[in-house]
Formats: sequence, C-alpha cells, structure tokens
Amino acid sequence: MRLYKKEGSNLQILSAPSDDVEKGDYLLVENTNVNRKLIAQVIDVQFASVPGLLEELLRDSTTDEQVYGENFDPLGVSSHINHIQDARMLICKIRGTMVNDKLHVNSSWLPCRSKSGITKISFNSLLGNVGGDGGLPINVGETKDGSPLNITAHDLDGRLNIITGKKGTGKSHLSKLLVLGLVDYGATVVVLDLNGEYAGLGLSAKGGGNQYSGRVHVLTPGANFRVSLSQTGLGVILKILVHALGLPGTSTREFKHIWKSLSQRGKFTLQDLGEAIRRCSCNMHVRDALFSRYNSLVNSGFFTDNEESATDFGKLFEKTKKDGGALVINLKDVSSVDRQIVLEYTLGNLVKLLNQWRIKSVFLFAEEAHLYLRETYWEDIVTRMRHFGLFTNFVTNQPDTIKENIYRQADSIFLFNFTNERDLETVSKAARVDAETVKSIAQELPPRHCLLIGKAVKDFPVMVKVRALDIKTMGQTRLFFENRVSA
Amino acid sequence: MIEQLQYATTPTYNFPPQIENLQLPPTFMELSHNSMKNIESSYLHPTETPLNHPPTEHVEDSTTILGIQQPQTIKTIPLEHSLDQKPVVAVDVSSIRIGETETGVLCAIRGAIAWKEKSRYKYQRIGPFPFHITEQNKKEIYKLFRSHSFETSDTRAPSINNIQARIGNLLERWLQLGICCSAYNSIILWDGSMTAGMADSPVDEVARLLEIARNRLSTVLAFSKNTTLRFSGYKLTDYAEKAEPPCLLQINGFPLSSGPVLLLGDVYVAKLTPGVCSFRLDIDRKVPRERGIEAVQSLLGSDLLVQSYPETLRLAHIFSTFTATEVIGIQRFIAHQYGLKIVTRPNVRRLLFGPFGKGAEG
Repeated sequence: MRLYKKEGSNLQILSAPSDDVEKGDYLLVENTNVNRKLIAQVIDVQFASVPGLLEELLRDSTTDEQVYGENFDPLGVSSHINHIQDARMLICKIRGTMVNDKLHVNSSWLPCRSKSGITKISFNSLLGNVGGDGGLPINVGETKDGSPLNITAHDLDGRLNIITGKKGTGKSHLSKLLVLGLVDYGATVVVLDLNGEYAGLGLSAKGGGNQYSGRVHVLTPGANFRVSLSQTGLGVILKILVHALGLPGTSTREFKHIWKSLSQRGKFTLQDLGEAIRRCSCNMHVRDALFSRYNSLVNSGFFTDNEESATDFGKLFEKTKKDGGALVINLKDVSSVDRQIVLEYTLGNLVKLLNQWRIKSVFLFAEEAHLYLRETYWEDIVTRMRHFGLFTNFVTNQPDTIKENIYRQADSIFLFNFTNERDLETVSKAARVDAETVKSIAQELPPRHCLLIGKAVKDFPVMVKVRALDIKTMGQTRLFFENRVSA
Repeated sequence: MIEQLQYATTPTYNFPPQIENLQLPPTFMELSHNSMKNIESSYLHPTETPLNHPPTEHVEDSTTILGIQQPQTIKTIPLEHSLDQKPVVAVDVSSIRIGETETGVLCAIRGAIAWKEKSRYKYQRIGPFPFHITEQNKKEIYKLFRSHSFETSDTRAPSINNIQARIGNLLERWLQLGICCSAYNSIILWDGSMTAGMADSPVDEVARLLEIARNRLSTVLAFSKNTTLRFSGYKLTDYAEKAEPPCLLQINGFPLSSGPVLLLGDVYVAKLTPGVCSFRLDIDRKVPRERGIEAVQSLLGSDLLVQSYPETLRLAHIFSTFTATEVIGIQRFIAHQYGLKIVTRPNVRRLLFGPFGKGAEG
C-alpha cells in the first residue's frame, strides 16, 4: 500500500488487489523516524485510475462476442498487467494522529509519501493503542476480523444513544443485547416495548427460563400494570389530562379544585372522582370536558380502586436495586390514547422517584418513541432528565422522526443498514461522525451488522456483526404463507 | 552454447489446420531471456506512460527514397465482391520502450496474428517479450539478425535506439514466414509495404516469404496506413478521393529499384469502401495481375472492411499494440522479476521549460 493523496481529512491510498483491505478497516500510516502515526479508516474502495485502462477494456470487450483468442505469454507478464488493471484506491478518513503513543484528534500532519509504512490494524489493537477502557465490558459481537468487540457499560452511562436502521436489520435485537448487558451489571432498565418484543427477555430460545428470568418484569397495562389514583398524585394526573387527553386550561383549573377538595377528605376512588365532577358547580361545557376525560381514564383500565392489585412503581424499582433488572412496559395491543396515559404516568413517576433519590439512575429504551412521546418530551428527555439520571436510548426505523438537535447531542449511534439517501442524510447530522462515512458504509451493511459511531467506540466508527442471544424471540411478523411451500 | 530456457516455444495454436504448426524460433525467446537475465543494473528508470507516445510500428511504408519522376498513367480498376470466400490471415507487431537502466534500454515486443474463420475472428498474441539492449549485448542481437539473413551492407551493429525497431521487425518477419508456410489458398495481410533491400527487409528474405505464399496458392496483400509517396506534389492516396469504391488505382511508372531498395510488389491505391480513407496497397509483383485483383475481390467477400481497411488487419494491430496499463504492468514485472528499483528521473524538459517543456524527456 502506498500513500497517494491527502486532502483535508481525506486520504487516498493505492493498494494492490492482493491486499486484504475492505470498507470499514483501519489503517496505520506510520513514519518511524518521527514517531508519528496517522489512523485512517477505509470508507470506500474504488478502482485506481490507471492510464490506458479504457483502451484495455475496449479491446477485451471485443473478445467477448465475435472475437476470441489466446495469449502466448511464456514469461507470465499478463499477471502483472492484470495486477495493474485491478489496482485499487482506498478512500480513507483520518480519525486521528498518534504522537509518541498519545492520541490527538487532528489530521493536519502530512506523512512522508515515499517512506510511510501502511499497515492494517485490528480494531481491538487500535483501542489498545488509544487506551480503551476495559471495565464493565458488554460484548456486542465481532468485528470483521472475527475478534470480539466490547463496549463498556460506562459508554452507555449518562449518555444519549440512538439505534436506527431500516426494518428487519436487527435494531431490536441489539437493543435487547444492550438491555441485558446493563442488567448484568446491576443497572435498572425501563423498556417501552411497542410490539411486545421484549416480553421474552427472561426466557431462553427453547422457551424455559434463562439467567434473567427473575430480573425481567413485564408490565402489561390493564392487566398486571394498574395504578390507583392515590399513587398517581395530582402532578402526574394533570400531565395525563393535559398532554395525553388534551384537557383545556379552564377545565384543568376546575379539575385541580375537585382533586384538592377530594384529597382533603383522604383517599378517594374513581367513583368518588366521577361523582365530584358530576356535582361540580361549574360551567356545563367544563363539566362535559372533565367527564369525557374521566371516562377515558376509566375506560383505559389502567386505573383501579383496588390498592392491593395496584402496581407499586417504587417497590418495583426497589426489586431491581440489588441485582439490576428490566421493567418492560408492554404496549402491544394498547390503544394510542391509553399508550400515552401509561407513558405519562410511567415517565412522571420515574422522574419523581429519581428526584427523591429512591433510584440512582435508569436506562430508558424507547422503541419508536414518536408514537407515544409528545413533542415537548424530546428536549426534556435529552437535556433536563439526563441530569436526573434518566439515560435514553432511542430505537427507530424512521430516523426523521427524531429531531436534528437530538442527533447532534447523541453520544453514540448504532447504525444498521439504510438504503434510502434521505434517511442517511438525517443520521449524518450527528455531530460525532462525518456524512461520508455514514453514507458509504451504512448503505452496504448486511442484516445484523451495524456501524457503531461515537463515544461507545472512542469515536472510531466500527462495523460489527451483532452476536446472537439465547432469548425467546417475540413480536415476529405473523405470516399467511409461513408453512406453505411453492406450488 | 545457449542455456536451456525454462519456458517452451509456442505451443500448438488453435489455428485452422493449415496454420497450426506455426512456431516461434527458440532463439528469439532465448535472446529475450538472456538479455533480461544479465541485467547489471540496480534501477529502472521508467518511460512515461505512452499516452502521448504512440508505440513503434514496423515495416511501414519506407519507400520515400523512391522518387516518382513521371508517372505515366493512373488507371482505375473497379472491383466486385467475390463469392469465393477465402481464409484471411493478418499479422502485426508492436514494440515499445519500457525504460532505461544504467547500462542500456529496456523495450518490449509483442506480435499478434488475427484470422477469420467462418464468421468468427480469432487471434493469437505472442509476447510480450522484454529485451534489455546494451552496448555489450547488441552484438549478440545483431548476430541473430545475420543468422536470419537480416544483414545490411553496414557491418557495424545499429545503435541501441534502433535495435528496438529491428527486433520488432525480426519477430514480424518470423510470424509472416510462419503464416506463409502454414496458410494455403488464403489471403495474407501484412501491415506495411513490400519494399525490400533495407536493414529490416532483406530482398532475399522478403522474396522468399512471397514465394512460399505463392507456392501455397496464397496471395500477400500489404496495406500501408501512412504513405509518404507523392507524385505531382500530391500524396498518392489523394488520387482516390473521387474514385468510386470499391476500386483500385493502379499507379504505373514506379521505378522498380533505387540503389539497394527494391519494390517487390505492384503499388496500388485501394479504396474499398465509401469514406475518406484509402490506402497504399502492395500486391506481390510475381503474382499474375488478374490473380492479384481477384485476391482483393476475395478480400471484399471474405472480410469485413471499415473505411477501406480489413478488419482482420485492424484486429492484429489492436491486439499487438501496448496500452499504458500494459507498459506499467511490464515495468512492474521487470522490477519484480529482476529486482530492479524503479526510480523516476526528473524530466529535463519540464525542469527547464516548465509547462512549455512538451515532448519526450531529453
């Protein structure tokens, strides 16, 4: 391999066809006499522009149809000519410079063209070179050279991460892997499970229990996840009424009065609340508005007057404190309005518990969050809630549903295959990677392979084949022709 | 005693039965091998890729020395497509300068034979053969020429720079000989003319080739892409501009010889298809005139002609010519095989004249 050109942070390296270098590989451009190394990643492999190649191909193309023949080449010169024809140009991005074994994030150093040694370097050696932290490893899978790739739980701690890719590429699988990886280290994880895919986290592939059985708690709203009004509190119920059920301001004020007067009398039931609204001496329209929202709350089946069957959120989190655990909120078969009610309740209580330091921090995994999180929550989650200890991981196949400012603040992105240019354009707005890398590599990622970008991989993007998990797969698409062979 | 080579001579080609016994003389390959094996140099200074330097062609029209004093007539001979289809075989050779070493010049030679069989074209490429020509080995090369009757009145070996073309011509004559000996009742196409008596084309040797072809009922037609022959101030081929194709213009009044140089063919201008191109065509003088014209008519019926030029000959040219990629490939082969370091010397013209320094280095 020979250094050919450097323009800004782009490097072009001439490579022989026999060199085992592919897209995504890392190269070390080294000048031993100055003790400097350039770290570059191959983002595209092209044919080198060799003079006379067009003539060569035109001549060969005539031989395909009406003309054919043989070469008598006793010296074997043809193999060298073929070698030149197949010469490759590696388009690389400079990721940093090592000066006296210390990493510097700049690309201004120009190595010597004639004396530079260029070698392929494995990702793990690269991390070793830049001082990657080996504590609390989570094995994500393996890199192209077959070596295991670990990120650390620290890389997800206090961070905002995005898992994205088109449908069926393995986003949810990776998300499950990260959930279990965090649970392994005693972390508390809340999963907003839109399609009931995470319900099998505590089951092995064969159906029996696995090592996570006792630590995965699946909560199905209206079934094993119901709450009482007293647990909910005014603040949370108002959020539900305003944000999930769209209660207007005047009606909200009236509801506050009703709630406060009921609270002064002690515990109250749903029936008490309904009765209080009916007896309220307010404007008829306000009463109607309050009644319709009350009916929505009752019909959701999420609220109960039976304190014993009500879920104590605080206690649930207590359970996860010692050995870690995942609370999976199963939103499958839950209507859109009810989903928002559940989410407003869950997030409201989470923040409350975090505020009270009853739990230290929570990792939130939100699948297709745009379907149930209101607009104002986005910035709240990304900026404010992070300081309370709520660390979010968004999982989506529609990258444009996540706002640009969230991409800019994302610490790590787990990018699966996208073929659509617009989707890649959206993801490439992330501050931690250049658009060329995203577009060039992500378009060719096979299923179950992802490109890791950002802090999780010390800002050295790497392609990884996500490892398999011994868990029961849930939420598969139901197929009509599943058991039918071709006629 | 010439050392045993590691490689064999040309294997049996996939030729029509008449031509299949064609073989390349082992001495040619031995010469290539020995000249390369004995390189006493540590570096190879490559020639710039030949995008602007066309490869050397061989045995082209070299008859400018034949002055046409007063041609008596130019006669137009109309042609008809003959239904009598005959095999058409063409041969061409290219050589190219690859670079320089401390002691000499490196060049490569490649030949190509193309032929039309039924409705398909086939080809056989021979080479490339690299040669390292030095002051020390040029005598050995010259000895080879002499052993094959390629000797001139000049007893001194030609200069290093001329030897490249000579080696190419030697290979071309060998291939022509092979074809003349193998082909039967065919049309044999040469690239160039039938002018003999120069260093590259001894009279006896060229006459022998033509005789062998005649004895096997084949006719040799030599097409010159570029002719410098003029009369009355006009280029010879200009006279075909208004002629109705397909036709031949017969030029009478050529002197048959000028000093040692001898014309072994009758000179025509061939305009075989509509278009702007016409070519000088030499037909073996010893072939009866009618048979010569019949051969051209057979060519019209047997081969594809584009811009008056036979496709078989065009293919032979294409397959022998070196592209820039191949030159780089050969440079790499030499550097790799003989342990030479490729060192690019500065281009003196560029150094002196900057963007005005056009042309080859030197």
